Amino acid sequence: MMQGQKSIFSLPGKSVFLVAGILLILAIFPAFHLSGYTLRLMSMIFMWIALASCWNVMSGYTGYIDFGPVVYFGIGAYSTALLMSRGGMPFFLSIVISGVVAVLFAIPVGLPTLRLRGAYFAIATFAFAEAMKQVALEWDRVVGVHFLEGSHGITLPIGPSHQFFYYTFLVIMTVLFLTSYLIERSRMGYALKAIHEAEDAAELSGVNTLKIKVSAYAISAFFTGIIGGVDAYWLTYITPNDVFSIHITIQMVIMCLLGGMGTLLGPVVGASFLTLVSEPLWAKFPYDYLIIIGVIIVVVIVAMPRGIVGTLMERKRRGGGT
Amino acid sequence: MIAQSIITGLLLGGIYAAYSAGFSLIFGVMGVVNIAHGELVMLGAFTSYWLYTLGHIDPFLSIPFSAVSLFILGYMIQRFIINRVVDAPPIMSYICTFGIHLIIANLALRFWTADYRSITTPYCGSNLECAGMVLPYARLATFGMAILMIGGLYFLLTKTDIGRAIQATAQDREMARLMGVKANHVYAITFGLGAAITGVSGSLVSTYFVIYPQMGLSYTVTAFCVVVLGGMGYIPGALLGGLILGVLESLTATFWDAGMSSALTFFVLFLMLIFRPAGIMGKGVVE
Repeated sequence: MMQGQKSIFSLPGKSVFLVAGILLILAIFPAFHLSGYTLRLMSMIFMWIALASCWNVMSGYTGYIDFGPVVYFGIGAYSTALLMSRGGMPFFLSIVISGVVAVLFAIPVGLPTLRLRGAYFAIATFAFAEAMKQVALEWDRVVGVHFLEGSHGITLPIGPSHQFFYYTFLVIMTVLFLTSYLIERSRMGYALKAIHEAEDAAELSGVNTLKIKVSAYAISAFFTGIIGGVDAYWLTYITPNDVFSIHITIQMVIMCLLGGMGTLLGPVVGASFLTLVSEPLWAKFPYDYLIIIGVIIVVVIVAMPRGIVGTLMERKRRGGGT
Repeated sequence: MIAQSIITGLLLGGIYAAYSAGFSLIFGVMGVVNIAHGELVMLGAFTSYWLYTLGHIDPFLSIPFSAVSLFILGYMIQRFIINRVVDAPPIMSYICTFGIHLIIANLALRFWTADYRSITTPYCGSNLECAGMVLPYARLATFGMAILMIGGLYFLLTKTDIGRAIQATAQDREMARLMGVKANHVYAITFGLGAAITGVSGSLVSTYFVIYPQMGLSYTVTAFCVVVLGGMGYIPGALLGGLILGVLESLTATFWDAGMSSALTFFVLFLMLIFRPAGIMGKGVVE
């Protein structure tokens, strides 16, 4: 911990002020009487930056492509929904418990799956997420109880104002940004990158790769679960098809890829870019929206395979070299 | 009842095998997990649907049309898009094919609307009854076609020049290139072939399943499952995987609950990957 704390201050002075300044501006933003729409859009950007960062912590650094992170989002959403609507628990306690529940799922799932490599890990996580969606859909009917309510979904207590969610997501995003920063600078971060470069060599050099991978997976699941819980409260009504949707997974992955995998700023850039681009597109072309998104994805992948941040860094390095 | 359920499962498994073989081929040769795979099934199915609705051509006769048009489409996709990311980390090809999935599925939705459609042929209700079991003719014919197609693909890969070029490229691209094989062209042919047999399977699917533009993703997921069961990249494995999955689903639906059969599919997939990632026969490609 101490080591991590020190490294905050080793950030080049300017960047600390820049990040702190941006966060401060964002914190006083709502004081300017912005419209509900703007606040909602900003909250959404914060949420996606946080989600993309969750994915980045595990998959971005290690190169293990998790194709089912939405499962922890869904588990978090359902835990919060059940705790609040059935248990009458307060919101903040509920989301923390949701994060813990997600971890309780992530560890037994991570231990066997993280031994798999390449496409196999991707498909296994994807299969697990889809299986859990089916379980959430069919549980009540098959077991004969009224618990998860299947496709009818669960209604949560009506949430507070837009500002409440704006600040909640802002705080979560900030915590995740700091967490990613600390991980990147810590021994764990180096171990994760080593796993990406040469896993067997890392193992031979005395890195307990499985332990490191499972830890990163659990941290990622913890935050994804919390965000799922907050989103459930924001939506006030959830169904398995919404909160276990593969489109959430795909968005997390694509945002990281667009921004640049395994970089601190990648998820921030990718999530802001995609949310800002897709929002007006969705409003203007509701029917062609997904076609356009598909074209953007293909074009960006073909033209900038290293992502926006990666491509810029590459260009800078090349420019500096000549 | 068990026998009937198993037979129904086997017939279903034949079609699973047919549309999964192309997925396995594409993965085995290029390492590309094609998320747009189900869209190829959908396009094949709609080709037959429109030929039947507008031209009154029997779906079994429209198979060559599906094969040729999907081959061309597959060739182009590989040539102009996927070949550019084939050397990048595998995640690029997943996301790239996901982009293609979005484009095809939503274009289809735009032009053909979200309606559920089906082909009603004069023979679709007629069954062969034998030993107390009911065997629909359409399903028997599809099953036969599926087996023929996988056999044909296997023959093509092992006995012809282009098949050998494909296998050589899959094993060692650089060496194949030194021997005069044009890897980009071979890749495009492979994707075209994979797309063609998948399109034909789509035509077969249209003879007894409901079709709609957004059907693709669930077919992709089933193909994952089948291919993992049989061993990824191992073509005869697709047949085995398909049959096992078909029987498993059919038995679950008969004796437990139809809603649980897809949850079960995913758990089987998940457990297979953990305990036996090379497939039941152990002949799949393992990284």
